[in-house]
Amino acid sequence: MTQYWVLGRRAIREVLRTPESLFPTVFIPIFFLVVNVGQAGRIFPAGATSFLKGQNYAAFQLPSALLLAASFGSAALYLVEDIEGGYFDKLRAAPVSRTAIVLGRLTAEAAKSVAISALIVLIALPFGISVASGILGFVLLLVLAAAWSVVYSGFVQLIALKSRSAAATQSGSLVFFPLLFLTPNFVPRDKLTHPMEIAATFNPVTYIMEALRSLILDDLDWTRIGRGFAVVAIAGVVMVALNVRAIRSYD
Amino acid sequence: MPLAVEAHQLVKRFSGRGGTVDAVRGVDLRVEEGEVFGFLGPNGAGKSTTVRMLTTLMTITSGTARVAGIDVSDEPDAARRGIGVALQEVGLDPRQTGRELLVLQARLFGSSASQAADRAQELLELVDLVDAADRRIKGYSGGMKRRLDLASALVHQPKVLFLDEPTTGLDPASRLTVWEEMRRINAQGTTVFLTTQYLEEADQLCSRLAIIDGGLIVREGTPVELKAELRRRRSLPQDPSLDDVFLDATGRTRERIAGQVQEVQG
Ligand SMILES: Nc1ncnc2c1ncn2[C@@H]1O[C@H](COP(=O)(O)OP(=O)(O)O)[C@@H](O)[C@H]1O
Ligand SMILES: [Mg+2]
Repeated sequence: MTQYWVLGRRAIREVLRTPESLFPTVFIPIFFLVVNVGQAGRIFPAGATSFLKGQNYAAFQLPSALLLAASFGSAALYLVEDIEGGYFDKLRAAPVSRTAIVLGRLTAEAAKSVAISALIVLIALPFGISVASGILGFVLLLVLAAAWSVVYSGFVQLIALKSRSAAATQSGSLVFFPLLFLTPNFVPRDKLTHPMEIAATFNPVTYIMEALRSLILDDLDWTRIGRGFAVVAIAGVVMVALNVRAIRSYD
Repeated sequence: MPLAVEAHQLVKRFSGRGGTVDAVRGVDLRVEEGEVFGFLGPNGAGKSTTVRMLTTLMTITSGTARVAGIDVSDEPDAARRGIGVALQEVGLDPRQTGRELLVLQARLFGSSASQAADRAQELLELVDLVDAADRRIKGYSGGMKRRLDLASALVHQPKVLFLDEPTTGLDPASRLTVWEEMRRINAQGTTVFLTTQYLEEADQLCSRLAIIDGGLIVREGTPVELKAELRRRRSLPQDPSLDDVFLDATGRTRERIAGQVQEVQG
């Protein structure tokens, strides 16, 4: 537990010492939010679009922005730096639980994600977006986005551990990106074309997006929320287990 | 009393896209407690691979290894508590300060926050880095990084210290500092397992040594024994240097090496 804590603090220190890496994480999702709403907002006017539940289209788009931000993790790139710089071997040579090595970084990633998601929601509030599920919903929103960031970073860390190369990790981080867009990100699932609807139904990210969206547009809808959390929980456990295994067999 | 390092028929085979490489092909080692043991060999001989297996950093293809009496593959965490290791490439995190790195390392080995702070200070004094302690490692010179790396291998007062080419690339002054450090650590009872390409270093520091070439141990003994053996075998008028022993053991001759240098130059 101590090990996990000291490694997590180190990872947070690392993020705080490279603040410039945070800028694109905030800027790009907001950029897409503004552009998407600017392009499609008139098709879905606030009062006349039932799936907006009275809010404007930006509220509907906000979950996409949050997921995008949570998918800009830097944990794996720091890990590659550790590997290339030899520090990773120093950690491995210590009697540290391999789970703590994995979770230390991922926890820092989650903390970062909470801060960034909160920032993005706060930036969005003046534009007429409100979180319909209230304070508890807001907290759940942050936790869910952070949990997704753990899953995504866990996946990219896996690439880092296998490839040990910054270039491969960087491009590997894009492999997951299509999943963010095979989702009902412009309209609800039942309004998608049939092939897209099928794809979205099989895409786990869909359920996270729908959970986030329900927190913004509806009151607490536990079925949707539960599905979103179930998906990240399963994916998170799988990613952490694969990471731990990769470190155990690391040569 | 258990041996500090004991390896039986240690083998490492790398299999990759480029085929298989037998980096270590059946190495036996017996290092007594309190020794400074030298592990010599030309580039690519298998020194680092052996060290990485002995320090739990690499899986062992076949054979067994014990460090401070503990099997490194059966009980890696227990073995790690008795092992300090400074690898050939220093392993430091440029974004932390020297002090942060040592404190973190001490905490990973189970020290409390205040114990870790004390130990870090002690080690910073030992390797003469007090002034730079609170600066980021990114700005350290090569010699400073090497010394910090050595300090980080000592946080938990290991029984056996593995140093993989600790002086390669250092200026002569830093090299002497590291030698002094090594002697002092050894005098306090720590066994030192030292790999080096510098024969003078081995001659100065090591009580016993092994020469590895092509993944196999080709000579083993005290420097004096090895020189005397070569002298007898070649009926030399006087004791050869450790360089001669090394060249004889690895099948390289001065002429051939000179020839290679000329070819490169030509
Ligand atoms: N990860 C690896 N994959 C494949 N071959 C390797 C790997 N590491 C080392 N080798 C090969 O194993 C041999 C021994 O390397 P090494 O132990 O680093 O030698 P030394 O430290 O004595 O210079 C070399 O031929 C090297 O190319
Ligand atoms: Mg080497």
